[in-house]
Amino acid sequence: MLRYALRRIPSGLLILAVASVVIFLLLRATGGDPAAVKAGPDASPETIAAIRTSLGLDLPLPVQYFRWLTGLFTGDLGYSLVTGAPLASLIGNGLQATFVLTFAASLLSVGIGLVLGIVIAVSSGTGRSVLDGVASMMLAVPTYVSGVLLILVLSVTFNVLPVGGYRPLLDDPQIGVQYLAMPAICLALPAAGVLARFLATSMRQVMDEDFVRTGMAKGLGRGRLLLRHILPNALPPVFTVLGIQVGQMLGGAIVVEAIFAWPGIGSVLANATLARDYFLIQDLLLIAVAVFIVIQIVTDLAHAALDSRVRLEQPSS
Amino acid sequence: MKNHLISTDTITSSTRRQLLMGGAGAIALLALPGCDRSAVKEAASGNAASGVKTLVMTQSTDFNTGTMMAQNNPNLSIMRVIFNSLTEYDPKTMEPKPSLASSWKMSDDQKSLTLDLRTDVLFHDGAKFTSADVLAALAFMQKDGVPSQVKHNAKIVTASAPSESQVVLTLQHPVSNIFDMLEMMVIPQKDSYEKMLTGAAFVGTGPFKVDSYKHGQGMSLSANDKYFKGRPKIDKVEVQIVAEASSRVASLKTGASHISMDLPPLDITGLIADAKFANVIAETWDSAMYVASNVTVAPLDKKEVRQAIAWSVDRDAIVNKVLSGIGQTSSLPWSKSSPAYDEAAVGHYKYNPEKAKQMIEAAGASGKEVKICYVAAQAGFASVAEIVQAGINATGLKATMVPMQAADFFKGLSGEGLPGLFVNGHGFGQLRPATLLKGAFPFNADKNASRFSNDQYKALSNAIWQNTDATKAKAQYDEINKLLLDEQFVSDLALGAHTYTISTRVKGLAYTALDYLILDQADLG
Repeated sequence: MLRYALRRIPSGLLILAVASVVIFLLLRATGGDPAAVKAGPDASPETIAAIRTSLGLDLPLPVQYFRWLTGLFTGDLGYSLVTGAPLASLIGNGLQATFVLTFAASLLSVGIGLVLGIVIAVSSGTGRSVLDGVASMMLAVPTYVSGVLLILVLSVTFNVLPVGGYRPLLDDPQIGVQYLAMPAICLALPAAGVLARFLATSMRQVMDEDFVRTGMAKGLGRGRLLLRHILPNALPPVFTVLGIQVGQMLGGAIVVEAIFAWPGIGSVLANATLARDYFLIQDLLLIAVAVFIVIQIVTDLAHAALDSRVRLEQPSS
Repeated sequence: MKNHLISTDTITSSTRRQLLMGGAGAIALLALPGCDRSAVKEAASGNAASGVKTLVMTQSTDFNTGTMMAQNNPNLSIMRVIFNSLTEYDPKTMEPKPSLASSWKMSDDQKSLTLDLRTDVLFHDGAKFTSADVLAALAFMQKDGVPSQVKHNAKIVTASAPSESQVVLTLQHPVSNIFDMLEMMVIPQKDSYEKMLTGAAFVGTGPFKVDSYKHGQGMSLSANDKYFKGRPKIDKVEVQIVAEASSRVASLKTGASHISMDLPPLDITGLIADAKFANVIAETWDSAMYVASNVTVAPLDKKEVRQAIAWSVDRDAIVNKVLSGIGQTSSLPWSKSSPAYDEAAVGHYKYNPEKAKQMIEAAGASGKEVKICYVAAQAGFASVAEIVQAGINATGLKATMVPMQAADFFKGLSGEGLPGLFVNGHGFGQLRPATLLKGAFPFNADKNASRFSNDQYKALSNAIWQNTDATKAKAQYDEINKLLLDEQFVSDLALGAHTYTISTRVKGLAYTALDYLILDQADLG
């Protein structure tokens, strides 16, 4: 398994290298001028030109590209073109907040998805239709709708959770978790709906397998059969979906972070994109590519760990 | 045939127990807010039992630390809270009042201004405010890459400091708007500029000092005990960046915040229906909406077409539908506080589609296409662009909308030009007219976003800029108004205002002539 993971590193690096060129060139091709945004309203063309020069935006593209790469390799990410903030702290703080949110949302989605998926799989008739509908609604309702609804219900009407904001969990866990709860639930609901539906379908397929019938014939308890035999066999495909869902949650966090004023990387990326903050966008997109590569590797490894039929190692010829 | 061996009625009791336990866990998670400390209660307290009064503000966008020497909307909430300027206008009368400068004297030839500085002012870091800080601010503002709308307006030849408490500015020629520059130029501590630009530190003399600033999250400030105008009544201020307007509204409703800046007008109307909220309108009315023409693009190169467009726009619809009544129609850029304001002239262009259509036909422009550019993310301007489009299409012109991202729009505005009409906003109508004519890029006589070049306009702008004789000024203002109404390279549509929607617990809120929030006397009831 370790050899498999190590074997993926060169291809991962190649993908990163190609991605860096594509990201760099695409950003320049989209037009816009970060110097004009930095200069603010009513700035004269002379002021904007001076800012452009000071930021190195008038240098040839290859020079700008290699400056960026050099900065990445030496750990000097530089400063935001628009806000002047150090990119290292901007990205570090944003990533920290987003990872906390995504991790909490992943746990919630797995918890809700597992419970709902199992119940759907074992239910029948009207109950199953209703629960199926609930799962469908969870994945169909966009986060910007569920987010606003959650605020209206839990904050405005019952006033039990704060509307938005952020308190680092390590600084004050008791308060921090209350700020985390609503955005995490909002982000988790669509993924939980997807997981529940996948799990239910997968479990029902496994229930039709001969070994389940054999287990029943041998007198295995139904609970034992469900949790020890059916669920483990139904989980591997769900894990693959979970990997994709975590990736989607990282992307979907942009909307949730905006609604709940959660200072994650999503809002940083959205603002940077609107302002054409090239250096910041480049770094963030490259990090996103790297994270997706890692998630895919971890998902493959988890899949193999759960399903002994999956072999990651290729037999040596 | 499907043979589902397990169904709801066959789940064993142990499975049910496990499900129930899972449900109990989820309920426990949701019950977290019920623990002994509640984030809601802490956020809403403001007047906490501890006796610390914390005022919480929300705004949609992060501060722009690179534009602290310019007027820039994201910074309105903090500029006058952290910093002071040398002089400060009374926003009602526009008379300059002492601030960091205790008095001043202009020489008879109007080319030398001597400012006497207060000697009892300390910066937040404990350093004493002196003339060296003023010279540093002037030098910083004059740098090429430092944005400031008024940096070139003062034509300062030399700035000297005869003593720690006096600064003398020598001007190339008399200027009518020197106090606009003094108002806009805040005075940070002279060694703090580099840190200010990156947001690492803000060292001013204002009523609150910055405890922390996190990009994209907000700023925490605490009262400056040694503030030269007296310690503020509020102990702490939190400014939170909340992008979503609905979340800012919910935050006000739940008491988690007390002030929200520039909420969408419809949200304001909804909130102030509740007696617990009020709307403070900055009555400088310096948030003007306009549609301007790139006069090098046909058919906008014809003055008659631009005039027809000015007649075609339903300005009342803009005030009523876009600004929800918080605004005034106007054909000129000036607010009521401006000496160039003319009650009759501001109402010159009224909605007259028939006249507009006739003018387009007379100009031979019927059927011609015009593009309307605007920043798509700014909902207000998008709505204005729609109203403008409807009016123009009724004249026989064919208007198409061009929604743009801010970075593209402003690049076009200041650099390569926009391909037709553009809808945007401008400020400075409340200040001395020269500041708008020389400093606001839509109107700058020497180089403007419309590519409009006119010798008479340049001469008039320069005359207004250099004239300090109030008796001559009236005729100049009449002339410039006539020219602006005639040429219509910028068609002003409505004057809006920056707003602070507040909980009625907030007392003593004020604002400067530049709409900077003043919290010197603010309190939480």
